[in-house]
Amino acid sequence: MFIGTEKLTHTYMPGMPYAKEALRNITFSFEKGDFALIIGPSGSGKSTLIQHLNGLLRPSSGRVFFDHEAIGSDKHKLLQIRRRIGLVFQMPEEQFFSETVFDEIAFAPRNLGLEERLVHDRVKDALQKVDLDAEIFAGRHPFQLSAGQKRLVAIAAVLSLEPEVLILDEPTAGLDSAGRRTLFKLLTYLNRNERLTVIISTHHLDEAAALAGPVLVLKDGCLVMNGLAADIFTRRSELDELGLALPPVTEIMHNLFEAGLPVNIAVYSLSGAKEEIMKLKRRRD
Amino acid sequence: MFSAPSAIVEAKAVEFYYTGEETSASPALSGINLAVKQGEYVALIGPNGSGKTTLLKLFNALLTPYTGEVMVEGISTDCEEEISQIRRMCGMIFQNPDNQLVATTVEEDIAFGLENLALPSKIIRQRVDDVARLLGLEGLLRQPPHLLSGGEKQRVAIAGVLAMEPRCILMDEPTSMLDPAGRREVNATVRDLNNNQGLAVIHVTHFPEEAAAADRVVVLSEGRIVGQGPPEEILTDLEMIHKLGLQGPAAVELAAMLREDGYPLAPQLLYSRELVDSICSLERKS
Repeated sequence: MFIGTEKLTHTYMPGMPYAKEALRNITFSFEKGDFALIIGPSGSGKSTLIQHLNGLLRPSSGRVFFDHEAIGSDKHKLLQIRRRIGLVFQMPEEQFFSETVFDEIAFAPRNLGLEERLVHDRVKDALQKVDLDAEIFAGRHPFQLSAGQKRLVAIAAVLSLEPEVLILDEPTAGLDSAGRRTLFKLLTYLNRNERLTVIISTHHLDEAAALAGPVLVLKDGCLVMNGLAADIFTRRSELDELGLALPPVTEIMHNLFEAGLPVNIAVYSLSGAKEEIMKLKRRRD
Repeated sequence: MFSAPSAIVEAKAVEFYYTGEETSASPALSGINLAVKQGEYVALIGPNGSGKTTLLKLFNALLTPYTGEVMVEGISTDCEEEISQIRRMCGMIFQNPDNQLVATTVEEDIAFGLENLALPSKIIRQRVDDVARLLGLEGLLRQPPHLLSGGEKQRVAIAGVLAMEPRCILMDEPTSMLDPAGRREVNATVRDLNNNQGLAVIHVTHFPEEAAAADRVVVLSEGRIVGQGPPEEILTDLEMIHKLGLQGPAAVELAAMLREDGYPLAPQLLYSRELVDSICSLERKS
């Protein structure tokens, strides 16, 4: 029980004609070091849920906890929570406002009141983590970067607070495949080597499926599935009904399986799929 | 002598620099020759920063070429006085529908462009109802757009463009913010308009599976067209696709890996369905 919610309900505009119950009675928990996914169709409550996880939104009822304490309690002042739990919004580069990459990343550490020398170190570390050369990039205008580099700078800006949890809302939207690969390499590195707990909200499972441990599936504000990737991604027809799609390679495996071929369907990578199909051939030979 | 233009939109020897970069060695676009015919569905692919969006913007005169010419139905986009006509014939759909929806209800949003043409309200009503029926939005006309799903919002954006009776629709990653159901919904809608209304489509996409559904795939890299042809030719050329940092459709990638290991599959296999069928028939024979 590192981070999670207990009977969390959130209503937007309560008491108004357009009042909307965006989350209903959500209970789950992730462990420290997890690589977790929150999936669901648009409007299912994913963004609302993750904004509760670092206290940007407050529950209408129920509670959100982190490190054994409820968020908003004395022990967990919101400012402190937001330092320990970093949130990367959808299309975060649209919020850039600084003249240089350095200033963009330095914004948060400066707000912590750190000495400029320490701010420097934080920026350098953050750029190093996202594998951008500080010599080249620190002085650049954020608009001179490629889409993939902008996304990395936005993540570095959150990493500069040295969070324990990194939450990303639709992190691959608008990136090309090279950008998506770089991003997932980074997230894997942060999770495995820097021991960050990573939580991703997405409806594109292509790259995320292979890395995922726990998975939550939301629909209309309700938690409709809660389990491990290995289990959830075998339930194709249920996911299909929710309007969710498995990675194309997993779809191929499901189709082979349904056509009566003895293949493992819990395959999320091309190399894994190739292995499975070559096994068929070897059996035939 | 008058001759009917053979292409709806055409770029001829286009070179383009963004303002302030005219002296730079690398223009945003150069040597672009591309003609799109009535009813054609063209997918535009390429890495981020290769010039895909810039090219789309040239086709509806949001940008004009530095050298060369862009023609829409035979009219040069350099003609200032024809710009509104050009934009009516070539409608643009952006990545994020929230950036494109302006009114407080769906019907007002669809009517926005028509009102700007100062058409009689009876005709506006008629066109709004017609496109709403075509796109299955009849039940949503009085809804505020911000309460719709992503796929619905994008269809409203398409309806707003369609109400202008365009000949060509330009789409800049229209599904990248949508969930899989929304993606299917928008792709089916556009495919239908293309098939049944004869609308030309230029679709910028990062999804190889979307490009596979086009009639022609055009590949941009560093501002130049580096390849074009039918999807079964372009998207199966993994050597080129990978060199650009792109990925082919999952079925193509997987088929290539299998062939490499001696699994006998036909070349130019493009769709998942084909791959699954080929594997099944091979395995079942034994």
